[in-house]
Amino acid sequence: MNVSTSITMQPDAEDLENVFAAVEEFAERAEWPMNLVFQVKLILEEMSLNVINYGGVEGDDPIDIKLKTEGDTVTIEIKDVGQPFDPIKDAPDPDLGLPLEQRPIGGLGLYLVRTMVDEMHYKWHDGRNHLTLITRRLA
Amino acid sequence: MDVTSQRTGGALIVSVEGRVDGANARKFQKAVESVIDDDDGAVILDMENLSYISSAGLRSILLIAKGLQKRNSQFAVCSLQDAIGEVFRIVGFDKIVTIHSSQGEAVSAMGS
Repeated sequence: MNVSTSITMQPDAEDLENVFAAVEEFAERAEWPMNLVFQVKLILEEMSLNVINYGGVEGDDPIDIKLKTEGDTVTIEIKDVGQPFDPIKDAPDPDLGLPLEQRPIGGLGLYLVRTMVDEMHYKWHDGRNHLTLITRRLA
Repeated sequence: MDVTSQRTGGALIVSVEGRVDGANARKFQKAVESVIDDDDGAVILDMENLSYISSAGLRSILLIAKGLQKRNSQFAVCSLQDAIGEVFRIVGFDKIVTIHSSQGEAVSAMGS
């Protein structure tokens, strides 16, 4: 099944609720399995909050999201006007072997996203971050 | 997101329902801490009705676990839905937090 949708997210964590509702509605149309719905929500939250909390996106600069299902491939596109940030190169993996008392309290979001996608493409173009994430788990 | 608590055997069981995300993770953490601060015993976080968690929620659980470790209280989580169990494994939380498949199992493990 080939379907796509666009979601506009206001640069505010409170708008996650609307994004999640839009993902659920689309997932029903695209007949996504439940674990994929969970993963796509997580990917959108981690990437958008990163942009809002660290990329300086605010006010009238919404984050543009596009979801697409083609055959067994799901594509997620995210565009924002935040600071140039390449999540492929600019973020180290956390050390998952540390004991509880030494575990730092951040750095898990991007790592989760990386483990959940098969491809990640980034470019800075026309003053915006363009991130494309592809997963092929729709067997 | 709702947080409720009850005492069963020697443990305080804190149940979370709904979603813990970047919009409410701090509220979640405060709600849990306000319940466990009144107590000095073992704590079980029951996630049977937790449908979603992101890194913001994981961060809250890590901070709760660190706080309990500091005061020498046992801590475990139980009844994780599949997708949440997977997230715990991916970030290695299964190595730093005890996970039980049911509340009953968690309670009896705490008692021993």
